[in-house]
Amino acid sequence: MSFAPVARRPGDTAERRRSVLLVLPAVLVTVVVVGGGLGAAVLQSVGLLPVVGPATPSLDAYSAHPDDLLAAVGVSLWIAAASTLIAVVVGTAAAIVIVSGRLGGRIVGAIGAVTVTVPHLIGAATIGLLLADAGVLPRLLGISSEAWPALVGGPWWAAVIAEFAWKESAFVALVVTGTLATRVATYDETAALLGAGRWRRFRHVLLPLTAPSIVISGAISFVYALGSYEVAWLLGRTYPEPLPVLAVRLFQGVSLDSRPEAAAVAVVTSAIALLVVGLAFATLRRTAAWR
Amino acid sequence: MSSIRPRPLRALSAGLALPLLVLAGCSSPATNPVSYDNWNAVIDDAEGQTVQLWMYGGDDQGNAYVDDVLAPAVAEFGVTLERVPVTDTRDALNRVFTELQAGRADGTVDLIWVNGDNFRTGREADAWLCGWTDVLPEMANTDSDDPLLESDFGTPVDGCEAPWHKAQFTLAYNADAIPDPPTTLEGVLEWAEENPGRFTYPAPPDFTGSVFVREVLASVSGGADEVPAAYSDDAFDELTPALYDRLAALAPSLWRGGDTYPANEAELGQLFADRQIDLMMTYGPATLTDLVADGTYPPGTTVLPLEDGTVGNASFLGLPANSDAVAGAMVVANVALSVEQQVAKAHPDVWGQFTVLDIEGLDAEDRALFDELPQSPVVPGYDVLSRNAHGELSAEWVPALDEGWRTNVLTR
Repeated sequence: MSFAPVARRPGDTAERRRSVLLVLPAVLVTVVVVGGGLGAAVLQSVGLLPVVGPATPSLDAYSAHPDDLLAAVGVSLWIAAASTLIAVVVGTAAAIVIVSGRLGGRIVGAIGAVTVTVPHLIGAATIGLLLADAGVLPRLLGISSEAWPALVGGPWWAAVIAEFAWKESAFVALVVTGTLATRVATYDETAALLGAGRWRRFRHVLLPLTAPSIVISGAISFVYALGSYEVAWLLGRTYPEPLPVLAVRLFQGVSLDSRPEAAAVAVVTSAIALLVVGLAFATLRRTAAWR
Repeated sequence: MSSIRPRPLRALSAGLALPLLVLAGCSSPATNPVSYDNWNAVIDDAEGQTVQLWMYGGDDQGNAYVDDVLAPAVAEFGVTLERVPVTDTRDALNRVFTELQAGRADGTVDLIWVNGDNFRTGREADAWLCGWTDVLPEMANTDSDDPLLESDFGTPVDGCEAPWHKAQFTLAYNADAIPDPPTTLEGVLEWAEENPGRFTYPAPPDFTGSVFVREVLASVSGGADEVPAAYSDDAFDELTPALYDRLAALAPSLWRGGDTYPANEAELGQLFADRQIDLMMTYGPATLTDLVADGTYPPGTTVLPLEDGTVGNASFLGLPANSDAVAGAMVVANVALSVEQQVAKAHPDVWGQFTVLDIEGLDAEDRALFDELPQSPVVPGYDVLSRNAHGELSAEWVPALDEGWRTNVLTR
């Protein structure tokens, strides 16, 4: 069974050309900034942009610390996957509550809107003050710091995941609410009139129609968590380091040959991010609403 | 569909090539050698210049000293002093490297509060202006034979940085929790093992954690004299197994069982303030006075003198080779060295940093200014703190020891 509620409009050639012209300035700026940055990182990582000395191409930067790099990839994927999963579940649920139009929905909407505006750095500092061994929460609950679980700097990266999940769930909720509030409401009402229950409406109407926004917002929050430095640095532990923390440490390393290594980590991070975005687009093409 | 595809691809590759060409074209460092041999010429050129001093921004007293005492003093020469706070001196150095990489001769960094491995890395990259400190009139009040000012962690200073102040690595403990404190560094480690979870140190490459590892190296090697200051692979291979074995054996007794470490001195201080640990360490003992007075640190906070002594060093003001305000930066470095500024900075209420001047060589009048400085109730004077002090190892030791710690202690 498939739903194809919105037929794609076949635009004529002139219209298509005009739309290409309209996006061109944005594309150009993106290509120069992102392309330049990524290009410089690739060049540095293969030894072609040294701080001192002649440029000699080599792949040493990628193979210098294979264990650190592998551990970093593992930790980063864990943080990004866990926080994105929570964010998507919580965000979608919040969106459904928001569009219900009741008072609770308006309150959830307001909380979500406020959450989106809080910078991650502030969020991380707040979560740290709240959840640390000697933080606000253990003090309020009267639990000694020895008995409190190691949420900040602990082996499961709980505080880092909590921060990303909290911030990104608000973001997912906002995006999904946007979709739900437009065309979905009428389909939902129609299905209700035809006698569909809550669960069936969610399973066969809401979920297929919002799948594209869920996939896109999920991909964005995954890539953000993968590449974000400050939250993992503030709330994380000394080892293993997530990719961005490893990259910054190497970039700030005192020996001059650690800069190419930092660039290599950045290139690996970008490659994973591009792969995830690619997968998201592939998934998007399979969703009912996209076809 | 297939007929459209190649076009955006070609546009994309052209778009990528352009910024890359631009970046590749400016990879050769362009330096801007301005040299002065006449102080009056410096004074003339400095008028109207704005000097950006990049320095660690986590020390409120240091920030206040620069903003409220040093900046007004250099303003009399028509120099505007702007303080740029960084979390790590490496950030400032990286900015200079990046600007040199980009070929900028009008660099935004004019002075950096620097020493040790950062100074050495800067020298390797030719990032410092050298030979400019001889021109500073106030250099006459320093002792030219002072080993702390002649070489910076084993790297010859060679006039590439002007001395600013001296520091002494210091341990402090909560006397209410430790009635019978250890007297040697090995005693500290043993105390940590007898009191699991009440001690930790910042993870190198953090500055403070890195110093602590070097102190343990001196301790397990049988004293600071047993570790050659100059780095060699042989010395490293011979001395470090005992160091890493000792620290790995200590790890289970640390805070959180050595499962993780504080990232820097600020996090260590937070643990001490929260009474999660009873012993802490700092390279800036001057800050202790205020932290005890405002109740952040336990009232029982006491400096721990060690029989084997601790490491002392000097820190400096480095002038990047591509600074666009060389004369102004020289004026700032000179004023910072003056007796008035060094006395003001040494005052415990201002910053409490130890002077680099040769006090014995000063006029009786100037010497009296230093003698009259009040004593802090928490921190003893420099003569007490620096008893049995030893010098820093050469800067090459630092990254080698830090990296070894990562592989042998952290990820064991």
